[in-house]
Formats: sequence, C-alpha cells, structure tokens
Amino acid sequence: MNRRKLLSLLGMSPAVLAGSPLLLADDKKKKEKGAAAAGAFKVTALNPRGLPPPITLVPMAPRLATLDGKTVYLVSDGFPGADAFLNQISIWFKKNMPSVTTVYRLKAGGFADDDPKLFAEIKAKGQAVIMAIGH
Amino acid sequence: MGIPSAPLVTKAFKDLAILNAAKRGMPHERICFTPHPVWGKTPEEVRAYVEGPDPVTGKPLMKEIVDALTVPLSDDEKKSGIVSVSVGPPTFTDTADNLQEFYLNNGYTDFLPIILPTEEKVDAMLKATSHKPDEVVGKMAAGAYPPWSYNVRQVAASAVMAGCRPEYFPIVLAIASSGMASLFSSTNSFAFAMIVNGPIRDKLEFNYGIGALGPFAQPNATIGRAWLLMSKNLGNGGIPGDTYLGSLGNNLNYNNVVIAEHEDASPWPPFHVQRGFKKEENVVSLFRGLGVVPGQVARGSSANENVQFDYQMSDLFSTFTGFFGALIIADPLVAVRLKEQGYDTKEKLIAWLYKNTTQTVKDYKSRNYAYLFEYPQALQGREPYATWYKLPDDAVIPHFPRPESFNIVVAGGQTNAYPQAGNLSYGVSVSIDKWM
Repeated sequence: MNRRKLLSLLGMSPAVLAGSPLLLADDKKKKEKGAAAAGAFKVTALNPRGLPPPITLVPMAPRLATLDGKTVYLVSDGFPGADAFLNQISIWFKKNMPSVTTVYRLKAGGFADDDPKLFAEIKAKGQAVIMAIGH
Repeated sequence: MGIPSAPLVTKAFKDLAILNAAKRGMPHERICFTPHPVWGKTPEEVRAYVEGPDPVTGKPLMKEIVDALTVPLSDDEKKSGIVSVSVGPPTFTDTADNLQEFYLNNGYTDFLPIILPTEEKVDAMLKATSHKPDEVVGKMAAGAYPPWSYNVRQVAASAVMAGCRPEYFPIVLAIASSGMASLFSSTNSFAFAMIVNGPIRDKLEFNYGIGALGPFAQPNATIGRAWLLMSKNLGNGGIPGDTYLGSLGNNLNYNNVVIAEHEDASPWPPFHVQRGFKKEENVVSLFRGLGVVPGQVARGSSANENVQFDYQMSDLFSTFTGFFGALIIADPLVAVRLKEQGYDTKEKLIAWLYKNTTQTVKDYKSRNYAYLFEYPQALQGREPYATWYKLPDDAVIPHFPRPESFNIVVAGGQTNAYPQAGNLSYGVSVSIDKWM
C-alpha cells in the first residue's frame, strides 16, 4: 500500500492529502446502491468510533549540506539485531565516507520512551542521527 | 531535537512506521527500510543488507540514508499547523443487512455478527447509568500512539454491538474509564483478562462455577467482547500492520479472559479486597500479558495423594516471562488444599513462589524479554535489573522481579483440582459502582 493510501486511512483532511478520498466515502456509495436495490426498511445506527486527536504537524529539522566532517549518532532502540545492523553501518561509513564520525548508543528505557540524557548528548555533540527501529 | 534524523525500520513495519510518524505530525518523514528480520543474521548477511537496496523503494539503502540527512526539505516537510482527523458522521442510515456489512468492512467489528447500535438500543443502554451521554469517559490507545477520547454514548454503542444487556453497562463504562485497551500493537500477540468482584457477580448472573472461563454465561461473554470492540472503536486498536502487529495473534482477544471470582468458595479474601476495596463494592480489575496455560502440564496432579500445588505452580511459572506476572487462577479445590497445606493467606503462598521460582543470571540474560525490556531499565539503574545484570552468570535470582508480580484469584466448579495460570500482570482496579 502506498503512503498516500495509508495516510488516507487516518482520516487526515484532504487539504493535506489532496486527491485522497476517504474510504468511508467509497463505502457510502456502495451501501446507497445496495439499499436502493433492496428497497428495504432503513434503520439509523450510531458511529461507534471515538474521537481521534487532531494532528499537530511538526516541521522536520533542517538538513545538513553534507555529512563530511560531521558526527552521526547511531542509536538503537533496543530491538534485537539493531546493534549489529548499526555496527555494519558504522563500518560502511569508515570505508565509504571516512570523514564521518559515528557514535553508537543504546537508548535507555522502553522502546517507546524518550531518553532525555541521550538526546541532550546528541544535541550537544552530534549533527545527525540514524535510529534503528525494528526486529 | 532539531537535528536531522533518518529512522531505519525493517520492512515488516512499513505501514506502522509511516502511519505512526503521520499521527505524530510528520506525514512525510524520510523513513528508510531494511529487509526483515535483521536479528539472528551473520555479520556478512547484515553487511549485504547495508550495502543492498531499500526493499521498499529499491534504491541503495545507504544512499537513501545519506539523502535523508542531507537533501533539502520540501515545502510539505516544512509544514506546521493543525490537521483535523475524521471518523465519519455520527450516525449511519441504511438497511440492517447493509449496515452489518458496512460495520464489518470498516473494521468496527470482530468479524462476528453484531447487534446494530440503533438509537433505540443505545438509549436503553444509556438509561443504565446516571452519567450523561456526552460525558467524557476517558482516553485509550492500543500502543504508543496518541490516544483517542470517547464519551458515554460512544461506549454504549460498543456495549450494544457486543450484545450486552443494559444492566451490564456500568461494568463496560468502568473498563472504558481505565483507558486500558485489550489490544496492543506489540508483535507479541498479547492477551488480556479481567476479574469481576462484588455482589454484581450474582445480580448479573456471572458464571464463576463450572466452566468459569468458558462460553457459558451472557455477562462473561459479552462484557469481554465489549472490551475488544471498545479497543477497536474507541482506542483505534486492532488494525493489522498499523495498530496491531501480533505475529500470530491471540484467540483470547475475541472476548478476553473474563473471571468472576468465586468469592464464597475461596478460603482467602477476594481479589478486590486485597486491592483496598470493601467486600460489598463492585470492582473490575484488568490484566495484560501473554496468555493462560493449564496447570495439568506441571509436576504433580490431583491423582497424587499428596499433591503439592505450590511446586506445581512454581514449575509452571518457570516457563513464564518475568516481565509479565503470574496470575494464578485456582479452582476452589486447589485453593482449599493450599490452605490446608499451610498457606492460610495468599501472601504466604506468594512469598513461597517468589522465593522458590528461580533462574540463573545466565539463563535470565539469554531471555529475549530481559534483553529487550529489562536491560534498558538496568542501564537507567532501575532495580532489580541493575543489580541482576552485575551478578555473575551462575548466581541464582528470582524468576520474577518482585512478589507483587504474583496475583491469585479463585474460580471454577470444583469438578477437579486443576489450576490454570496466566502470564498476566495486574494493571488497574476500577469501581463499577461509580458508573451506575
């Protein structure tokens, strides 16, 4: 499924997803067609869905002009294999972009938790982050 | 942080990564993907992944990562502001058959037929509580997502859909007010359970006798189902690939493990009294974990004239992950026998189980859950994990982090002395009476 289709599942407004009709609209057409054909007695039922919070768009951080001479933090969220994968990325940088300094860190806390101490360190000493998430 | 980042995610979590980034305000986040899984691979295999293509885009992975950090932002990526999210109109009108199809096709159900939440049925449900239809009940999320909120009327819709009678509604509201969903986005296929205590068990005719955990009574069946439907409809849980990642899934999710305690047959105080409530109060307590297993597989049996349920349970728990606790579901025959063997309080049994269910540090460190969830806590100095990780491999430590990891409830029909046990940890107890 492409990103636009996926995001339409969120019910995000068309202003953000221009041209992405909500799935509900598709279903509405189908049900209207079905009801007309059947000509059956109609009932009204409640939409059981709760209220999702609005989405506050966060502008992404400005990108670097180049990674040359920069320090890139390689951060594992703790899922198995992330450490080994980031180690190979570190090796790749040494081989292909030797001016880049890489620093490996395991994020403390649960996988969804912030690690304020680490994030402060990265902000003070690093210029970019590659964060490995997954299994 | 204000620093360019390149998230690196395995392909299996593509939809989750994109959607969760969007929910958190970055619908265009530059996510790079690797083949899945990356664990258990040799260094050569991992190197090939690094030097190979992103399996989603087909482009060289490392070029994508470098580009993610260095290519200037597009206008979309710089956007700020508030974006509304729609879940459709407040009501739907159509034939009953078409609405059944519509609810099913839009993910509002558990793929079993539902009772349509017509205005009449919802109104009847609303009469079973003193709370106003528009009162906000709580917030719920089925994982690390921004939570959804909901009111009494929306809870009533799920209660109707599940087949609840109106008199069950205060229990459903109590569960909803906890904010705890019965679905969770983890790959671990979690299971959930509830214990119902108090006079309401008899008033509503819960089954806590023969077949206590089975499909033999309407409140046991439908209130558990309502928890699932609320988790989907009010907490946006249970969308495979987005808010649900359980690899195998869990059959217990259909209506959860609903346990009405057999308070009169128990030799110990009921569960809610242990949690500080009065015996005459009506309370629902919620648990989360991995599932329930039968006690028959452990050492000892009721055929043994000197059956030792304490050793049997300890044996059983050694297969559990310590991250979640152990919920002992004891038939009254088991509970009474344990009392006869000297465990005149639940606390005594728990103390014995905590002391005698052990593991070596080497075994502990080899467990997936320890590495994934507890080692990061050890790094933050949290006990007992910080101490455990400093001990030698041959040191013997408890299997569970603390005595509070154990809970005991009594239910069953006394047709045989079999316990069951859940690798389930206690979450919260909520007053039902407050929602009457």
